[in-house]
Amino acid sequence: MLLYIHVPFCRRKCSYCAFYSKVPEGDDMGLWERALTAEAETLSRRHGRPRVETVYMGGGTPSLLPAWLMERVAGLLRRCFDIAPGAEFSIEANPDSVDSWGLRDLLSLGVNRLSLGVQSLDDNDLKVLGRPHTASQALSAFEAARMAGFRNISLDLMWGLPGQRVATWLRQLRMVTRDLRPEHVSCYALTREPGAPLAERLDSGELTLPDENEQSRIFVYGAEHLEAHGYLHYEISNFARMGFHCRHNTGYWEGRDYLGLGPSAVSTVAGRRWENPRDLAAWAEEALAGRAGETAEELSPATRAREMVMLSLRTSRGLSYKAYRALTGRNFAEQHATLLKGLRQHGLVRMTRDGVRLSRGGMLVSNLILERLMGEA
Amino acid sequence: MEKIRNFSIIAHIDHGKSTLADRILEITGLVGDREKREQYLDRMELEQERGITIKAQTVRIPYRSRNGGDYILNLIDTPGHVDFSYEVSRSLAACEGALLVVDATQGVEAQTLANVYLALDHDLEVIPVLNKIDLPSAEPERVKQEIEEGIGLDCAHAVMVSAKTGLNVDQVLEAIVERLPPPKGDADKPLKALIFDSWYDTYQGVVVLFRIIDGRVRTGQKIMMNSTRAVFEVGSLGVFSPEALAVKELGPGEVGFLTASIKDLSDAHVGDTITEPGRPTPEPFPGFKTIKPMVFCGLYPVEPAEYEPLKMALEKLQLNDAAFSYEPETSQALGFGFRCGFLGLLHMEIIQERLEREFQAKLIATAPSVVYRVTTVKGEVFEIDNPSKMPDVTKIAELAEPWVKMEIHVPGEYVGAVLKLCEEKRGIQKDMRYLTATRVIITYELPFAEIVFDFFDKLKSVTRGYASMDYEVTEFRGSDLVKLDILINGVTVDAMSTIVHRTGAERMGRKLALRLKRTIPRQLFEVVIQAAIGNRIIARERNAPMRKDVTAKCYGGDITRKRKLLEKQKEGKRRMKRMGNIELPQEAFLAALKAGDDE
Repeated sequence: MLLYIHVPFCRRKCSYCAFYSKVPEGDDMGLWERALTAEAETLSRRHGRPRVETVYMGGGTPSLLPAWLMERVAGLLRRCFDIAPGAEFSIEANPDSVDSWGLRDLLSLGVNRLSLGVQSLDDNDLKVLGRPHTASQALSAFEAARMAGFRNISLDLMWGLPGQRVATWLRQLRMVTRDLRPEHVSCYALTREPGAPLAERLDSGELTLPDENEQSRIFVYGAEHLEAHGYLHYEISNFARMGFHCRHNTGYWEGRDYLGLGPSAVSTVAGRRWENPRDLAAWAEEALAGRAGETAEELSPATRAREMVMLSLRTSRGLSYKAYRALTGRNFAEQHATLLKGLRQHGLVRMTRDGVRLSRGGMLVSNLILERLMGEA
Repeated sequence: MEKIRNFSIIAHIDHGKSTLADRILEITGLVGDREKREQYLDRMELEQERGITIKAQTVRIPYRSRNGGDYILNLIDTPGHVDFSYEVSRSLAACEGALLVVDATQGVEAQTLANVYLALDHDLEVIPVLNKIDLPSAEPERVKQEIEEGIGLDCAHAVMVSAKTGLNVDQVLEAIVERLPPPKGDADKPLKALIFDSWYDTYQGVVVLFRIIDGRVRTGQKIMMNSTRAVFEVGSLGVFSPEALAVKELGPGEVGFLTASIKDLSDAHVGDTITEPGRPTPEPFPGFKTIKPMVFCGLYPVEPAEYEPLKMALEKLQLNDAAFSYEPETSQALGFGFRCGFLGLLHMEIIQERLEREFQAKLIATAPSVVYRVTTVKGEVFEIDNPSKMPDVTKIAELAEPWVKMEIHVPGEYVGAVLKLCEEKRGIQKDMRYLTATRVIITYELPFAEIVFDFFDKLKSVTRGYASMDYEVTEFRGSDLVKLDILINGVTVDAMSTIVHRTGAERMGRKLALRLKRTIPRQLFEVVIQAAIGNRIIARERNAPMRKDVTAKCYGGDITRKRKLLEKQKEGKRRMKRMGNIELPQEAFLAALKAGDDE
């Protein structure tokens, strides 16, 4: 089982973000803690204190939690879940909300992986993104984490930003691979989230994205650079040095069960999926009443098959014909023979006897490929 | 019989025929406010939406005139479009008189004129009615003059009405009673009744609308169809008033409907005569005309699994519409489907819409084509309704295409634009005369194929909607025609082939390729579009493949949303037809229709 905890607090909202978060006020944090406790207890009871191989605290900005609260959350998790020895325990942090003291506390609570929301090492980009930190703050946060003793650090970066070019992107990546040497790098394509302030500025023409060819070069040259420096491109947006892929996220792509705690968190256990209310108060009410996860959606076999295609083809391992057949009773290669042939001829997929995966070019147009492969899944 | 008046209303689309009919039903108390629906006579949903009458309707109206006589007025509605002119002529044959409704703000239009001539041919008494006289832009004097000079109809006693407000509609009723002659006929003679409409009803079989000339019809009576000699027993007999109302007997001059366990619409052809098996009438009507479809297109289900449902839908439609034909055909690009024949373009559009609406069929339609006559070098002569069936050029001695005679009515200032358009369409000018000082009738001979494409839209746009037209197919003429093929990624798409005149072929090929480039969206794979005549490529366009469409994050909380997004995206492309690995939108198959717009 994978365990996710959503911390819905941010100092301010970034311009590109569509996740649920709010600026904490009044007793928000206390309410969150009480409801989280109730939800963890309910789920623990219902699922028999399940064994958990990975814990991931995301947000929001989990690093905003004060040390005492963090300590109580860690205690809660140990009480309600059977955390496996050697479990991966990740936390997301913003460069402006970490210091070496806090980081040492996290380590002592068992947190062993830090995901730093750097987003860019270019101050212009950070301004466009509405991030609350600067590039130099990001660099010092990374140093502080190393000093505190983190051996597994991931950096989040974004590409395809307004004004970005291949050269500026590679300059950042060179700083990452030469100076910082984190264990893991996530490179997310900027996504136009309707309703986020950035979308408006793009729609109004105030900002423009790099053209399609430039974006495609940013993705491909960037990935080549990272691989050349020992970072395996193991999922569309993720790169890791050997042995440091994120086990929690890999679990999602492998279709493993997961429990999500906190507002807007999603859980999937044994083919049932439920989503918590996307609002702190509404979620807390439900959790405190002990009704967490009561109304769930049953995933049909066809839906599960489509999700298997969608998720597994994000990874460099790709889709295993055997796993697909076990789930659906069907032969994927035969089912999609014409399309797969065309995709292979155009270098968009690589095929072996056991399965199929997307090439780098294929990943870049994965929505178009998945839409067709899922259509008849 | 002295108290019966059978009449129809002749009007151009939008000139207010249905509104006038509604007012008449209201004033005579036949339709109360409660059950009032806008445009009562246009029963089919589609007719209401388009404001066009497709099938004839009839309604029996009891009316007490000012002089105290109790009359029965039978309003026989006629279809108002050129595609249905045969049905119009049958409806008129069932009447003694007609109201000519003309919009006083517009004037006489081409189709109206054609229908008035039909009415005069049938010796109908025609009463001019000027509508919309309440509008400030009404010019009744000018329009009267148009009617008098153009048609030769005396307008001294024209009735001036506003169907919308009901103004003077009572005078129309009085005029019907006073000025239209009563029917003539002999109740003792053998039965002679004209079928002017028939349709298939799932529960009752074929329902026949008829007008009795001589004799009587009773329930339980044996009747015989003159053309097929088939004998039936009248099951139910009735009139529409406006709801169906059963009656025991109908006599000369009367209009009604009957059912007689008739299973097949071909046993009750519009235009046929109903008579008695024992003593058939010695003077039947000249008989029905089989109406031949002139415009063809392919209709294909988007999903192969929808083939059978589509076939059933076509069968049902044909039950109600003898002028529509279909037969199975196979296309390499589109799979299994049907070649369907129509009277004209409007008829085609209506059938396609009905299929989609009433039968929920998701369709791909190919560009329409006319029928071509092929004479081979061996001397065989046959007609093809699909360009892809054209034999190899070396085997063809002559290709002939249908021509039409077209009349266009237009205000004087647009004459130049209309002439230019007709010349572009290979037209031959036959006549041009002034209806009045400002309105002109232009007569042209044109290849039918040229008007099937974009003629109507063009005519409307060059005359700002002021032109109206009417046409009839006259003959086949030999022509220098070639087949224009479209290749997508090197493969000929049979469903996109068209037959065009050699002189315009290259230009058409370039336009078509460009239009396809704009119609086919960029996608996963490169799309190369070529136009070819025989083996010669005359145009090439290319759509580069998409380079980036990727979801950045897909973690536990995103899975459902991202999946649904991809599913929705796929659903949005349901109308796309897959050819190899290329997805072609429905519009691509109609590119030939629109290629002219890109100039």
